[in-house]
Amino acid sequence: MKYVDEYRDADLGRVLAGEIVATVEPGREYKIMEVCGGHTHTIYKYGVDDLLPANVELVHGPGCPVCVIPMGRVDDGIAVAHVPGVIFTCFGDMMRVPGGAGTLLDAKAQGADVRMVYSPLDALRIARENPDREVVFFAVGFETTAPSTALTLKRAKAEGIRNFSCFSNHVTIVPPLRALLESPDLRLDGFIGPGHVSTVVGARPFEFIPADYGKPVVISGFEPLDLLQSVYMVLCQLVEGRCEVENQYARVVPADGNPAALAVLEEVFELRPHFEWRGLGFISHSGLKLSEAYRDFDTELRFEVPGVRVADPKACQCGEVLKGVIRPWECKVFGTACTPERPIGTCMVSSEGACAAYYNYGRFAREREVV
Amino acid sequence: MSCAADTHCITCSDEGLPMRVVAARDDGLALCADEAGAELDVMVDLVGPVTPGDGLLVHAGVALARIA
Repeated sequence: MKYVDEYRDADLGRVLAGEIVATVEPGREYKIMEVCGGHTHTIYKYGVDDLLPANVELVHGPGCPVCVIPMGRVDDGIAVAHVPGVIFTCFGDMMRVPGGAGTLLDAKAQGADVRMVYSPLDALRIARENPDREVVFFAVGFETTAPSTALTLKRAKAEGIRNFSCFSNHVTIVPPLRALLESPDLRLDGFIGPGHVSTVVGARPFEFIPADYGKPVVISGFEPLDLLQSVYMVLCQLVEGRCEVENQYARVVPADGNPAALAVLEEVFELRPHFEWRGLGFISHSGLKLSEAYRDFDTELRFEVPGVRVADPKACQCGEVLKGVIRPWECKVFGTACTPERPIGTCMVSSEGACAAYYNYGRFAREREVV
Repeated sequence: MSCAADTHCITCSDEGLPMRVVAARDDGLALCADEAGAELDVMVDLVGPVTPGDGLLVHAGVALARIA
């Protein structure tokens, strides 16, 4: 398939890896954070990190939207799912994300009507087919999935569907990046920017990273050669003393993003004053709730949502993993008490979560040998 | 392993899926197929009019960008 096969070419990969080795300065350590969980998934699925020299370390950022959901929001969703007459819809393994008192899967086992959907449009279809039931969509994700929720809500409004609402947990990417950059225990040299978020928001929102913090950013695609080339581009900036936002993923990401998507986000959502992130705490203006024009579709106004606050389990170090302070396998419970089958932390649930990616592709064994 | 989706994260669907338009409709939706031939109704409001054969980057059922 065009734009897939040529970006998985092993020979080209080896050429790029050789250029990376030739570019880095011996004796200098390079720490580069890939922001997006999709990048983390690609890195471990294809062994991209195996091709990098020992002094280039990839740090996994907070870009998996499931991994950053605080347990209290899961508990809030479960409370709504238990309301008689509610059909609670969510994306796949969101059902397995642990809250303080179980998962949505547990709620389903206890009798709640919890259903998996691929897109919010599926949830809207369920609402159409069940006019006597209340259908709630558990919305998660960054600027990539928020347009899908927004367009679905516009359809619901246009069609006059009254038994559909959205429990918004959508978040935006820039505030947590700024919070990370302000974190005193973080040492990073550069960033691999999120490719698909950038198809919506464009490249400009990331310009504060070189401007305010002096770190290079390269927006990257999701194939293995995309990642290798992006690492190379970040390293070139560092070696040459440059510091700017570059777009490796220009075949998909326009500089200005998608204005139609930004317009629909502006119409349907507004920023919350604060939103809690797992492991990162409360971050100002980082979450999206429904705008006044869509308040009739807001689950948090339609139902009594308890607003649960739950501290992360003491053994879980998702916060440190999300900040790149420790690598997944350095967590005390990684692969023992916390596995994809029985996750303690959210990073082990999602296939984009750094811990699950390590676990699924066996990289932890090699890392242990090295250290 | 339920969370080892090959082309997108089944937890949050938050990864782009390259798809081709099979049939455009007049309600803002288009029937699209992925590389393996699996078909899906996709919202195409954000990429303008589409015709069969167009390549789209799809996130959670919405096309965010055109691809070749």
